[in-house]
Amino acid sequence: MKRVAIVDYGMGNLDSVARAIEECGGSPVVTDRAAEIENATHIVLPGVGAFGDGIRNLRARGLDEILREHAVVGGIPFLGICLGMQLLGSRGFEGGVTEGLGWIEGEVRRLEPAGEDHRIPHIGWNEVAFTRASPLFAGVDTGHDFYFVHSYHLVCHDKEDVLAVTSYCGGFVSAIARGRIFGVQFHPEKSQRLGFQVLRNFLAV
Amino acid sequence: MPKIRVMPTLLFKDLGLVKGVAFDSWRRVGSAMQAVKVYNMREVDELVYLDITATSDGRPPDFETVDDLADECFMPLTVGGGVRTLEHVRRLLKVGADKVAVNTAAVEQPALIREIADRFGSQCVVVSIDARRRADGRYESYTHAGRQPVGKDPAVLANDAEAMGAGEILLTSIDRDGTLQGYDVELTRLVCDAVSIPVIASGGAGTYAHMADVLRDGRASAVAAASMYHFTEQTPLAAKQYLREAGFSVRL
Amino acid sequence: MRAIRYCVRCVMPETKPDLFIDGDGVCSACRNYERRGAVDWDQRRHDLQAILERYRSKNGESYDCVVPVSGGKDSHFQTIRLLELGMNPLCVTATTDHLSSIGRRNIENLKKQGVDYIEVTTNPVVRRKMNRLALTQVGDISWPEHVTIFTIPVRVAVQFAIPLIVWGENPQNEYGGPAGAAEDNVLTRRWLEEFGGLLGLRVSDLVGREGLEPKHLIQYTYPSDEALRRVGVTGLFLGYYVPWDGYSNALYAQAHGFETYSQPVEGALVNYENLDNAQTGIHDYFKFLKYGFGRATDLACLHVRRGRLARADAVKLVRMHDGKFPWVYLGTPIEEIVKSIDMTLDEFIRICDRFTNKKLFECDARGNLVKDRGGNLTKINYDNP
Repeated sequence: MKRVAIVDYGMGNLDSVARAIEECGGSPVVTDRAAEIENATHIVLPGVGAFGDGIRNLRARGLDEILREHAVVGGIPFLGICLGMQLLGSRGFEGGVTEGLGWIEGEVRRLEPAGEDHRIPHIGWNEVAFTRASPLFAGVDTGHDFYFVHSYHLVCHDKEDVLAVTSYCGGFVSAIARGRIFGVQFHPEKSQRLGFQVLRNFLAV
Repeated sequence: MPKIRVMPTLLFKDLGLVKGVAFDSWRRVGSAMQAVKVYNMREVDELVYLDITATSDGRPPDFETVDDLADECFMPLTVGGGVRTLEHVRRLLKVGADKVAVNTAAVEQPALIREIADRFGSQCVVVSIDARRRADGRYESYTHAGRQPVGKDPAVLANDAEAMGAGEILLTSIDRDGTLQGYDVELTRLVCDAVSIPVIASGGAGTYAHMADVLRDGRASAVAAASMYHFTEQTPLAAKQYLREAGFSVRL
Repeated sequence: MRAIRYCVRCVMPETKPDLFIDGDGVCSACRNYERRGAVDWDQRRHDLQAILERYRSKNGESYDCVVPVSGGKDSHFQTIRLLELGMNPLCVTATTDHLSSIGRRNIENLKKQGVDYIEVTTNPVVRRKMNRLALTQVGDISWPEHVTIFTIPVRVAVQFAIPLIVWGENPQNEYGGPAGAAEDNVLTRRWLEEFGGLLGLRVSDLVGREGLEPKHLIQYTYPSDEALRRVGVTGLFLGYYVPWDGYSNALYAQAHGFETYSQPVEGALVNYENLDNAQTGIHDYFKFLKYGFGRATDLACLHVRRGRLARADAVKLVRMHDGKFPWVYLGTPIEEIVKSIDMTLDEFIRICDRFTNKKLFECDARGNLVKDRGGNLTKINYDNP
């Protein structure tokens, strides 16, 4: 049984993620409690909103420590979605400079237009091109569309952490992985068939 | 570039879905749940759901209905109608909306847009602008489901909205809405040129060619349609196939 | 909570798709019925005869028309009337989902009126899958049957090269659709998709689900425009040419051997229609859940309009019978039906709740539907305040 802890830190489309996990065969628990996170087989950190608020909310609930203990140290498979992926970075530049969780070396910066008619926020379906293989994308071909809705992106210092990139605004990292810690800039719970495949793959880790 | 998005719009009035003509003569169409489920089966790019009497009825958004529908909606969902406070936005996002559309409140309380953008991020704020062509050929914006003129050009309104932090504009031509006669391409172009955020064209789609026109000449990033899809002969998928043949980049 | 508005003449609620209630509170179906008084029925009969004459086979080597039938009261009336008008029809039945024994007897009785008859029965294994898919996806177990009712006779017309199809009533007229449609007397592909009750779903949407492939869906596939043009297929509604009345059709049919049920059918008020498909109870129930009215309302309105039932009495009868949970229909228990489509009763009830428009029914403080001991819902109001 896949008990999936969906971290509630006051930000994010918790219901959507929970429903999607359910459809993919997992048993979602929306929670901010250490006991439930500890007991989970998988952890998902969703996120919609600003980096600063996100990290503050996590810290206020002590979730930064709890998540580090169980995901980084404890090795429970972890998936950060959208803001949830960005928060893994060392720091963010949205609304001032703020320290992130620091699990992945890198900074969160605003997307900058790199071509005529590059509109920001980046909203819509765009192609995810793999830079290396990963169980997260098993059964998914490179270059397919996933749904993005964001204005910021995580710049990774270590190329080894990068799993996939998307060509827009000069190119940005659309998926990361380090061990059993994964992050996706797109919304798998909104990317229909392929998104669900990614979620199923995550649940299989 | 992100793909051109083709999205159906669901209009909810009082007790169920409706289709109208020029924001008038509303006609009841089928149940919201079955519409959402069919579009979900068809894997449309996005869905727009608007409660068109919330503001004039003076009531908040209908969170229960959105919750029920969002449960069956595994694609991006934009919800609008009666959004006037930060709490409305928080609750809608919580029950499953991905983006929230604000129309009347964006004009009456422009600071609200900034608040929502700061709290939840620009990417979840869609400012919805309804406009009519005036006798002198220029455009007038309206609130309250097309009943109250704002006294501002929609391009100016859109620009202000962007400055306040809006992430996207949903632009509807009241004159063309429900007529199946084509989008107001000129209106769309005026607004697209005035902002650097994505613009969704809405109001008037009757054929796939209309969509190509507003994308090409209006410079929209996405096309929304309602009446066109209520007659099942035409579907979002077929629209995208047409658009691909016409040289646009779509998700298929 | 906003109250449901009802027509002040009949008892139809505003929530019905395509219905329009005007400034006087009268619905479009009642207005359409009013207009009947102004119709020159002699002229219409004359026009009908002219059309039939045009299409009558010149050498008797092919049928004069296709008559889509189910074996019911209307089918009897249509067929007998066409025979009386000197036509040589080919009756075509798209077999129903769950044929009842009385339904079978009535089909046999219809044949005995003296017609060649084709029954097209689709693959029942495939049909069950489609019933299930349609129920879960659009909340209409009878969706596949609706498709075949409108598609199979047209396919036969093309295949047998019979250009004229004579349908019965134009549902948009009696049931109050938009003016453009109410005067339509030809069932085109466009009409089908707009008003044929397809609920936005297309046959192609089902391909790939539950192992369904195009080869399983041949009988559900509407002929191409090219094929229709080649044969010159045209359809007309008999209900445009005669003042249609389901009750008088029933009397006519009965006089010709049509059998009625021993009691009013569950959820309805009469014993002379919808006798052939045990799944109809579920179909009607979902109409109630989505729109707040069931078959009892439909029937009450038909009779009120014709002066056979007082509105106040209609309100009472609807309250008593409309929208009851379909535990049994035509003697068939619901467990048998849901089992046949591979579903448990619990799953079925969950789907019911999923499609219920909660705004129309009483809910408790937590927003859950209030159900009585029999699982029945209560509407927020059964008449105008």
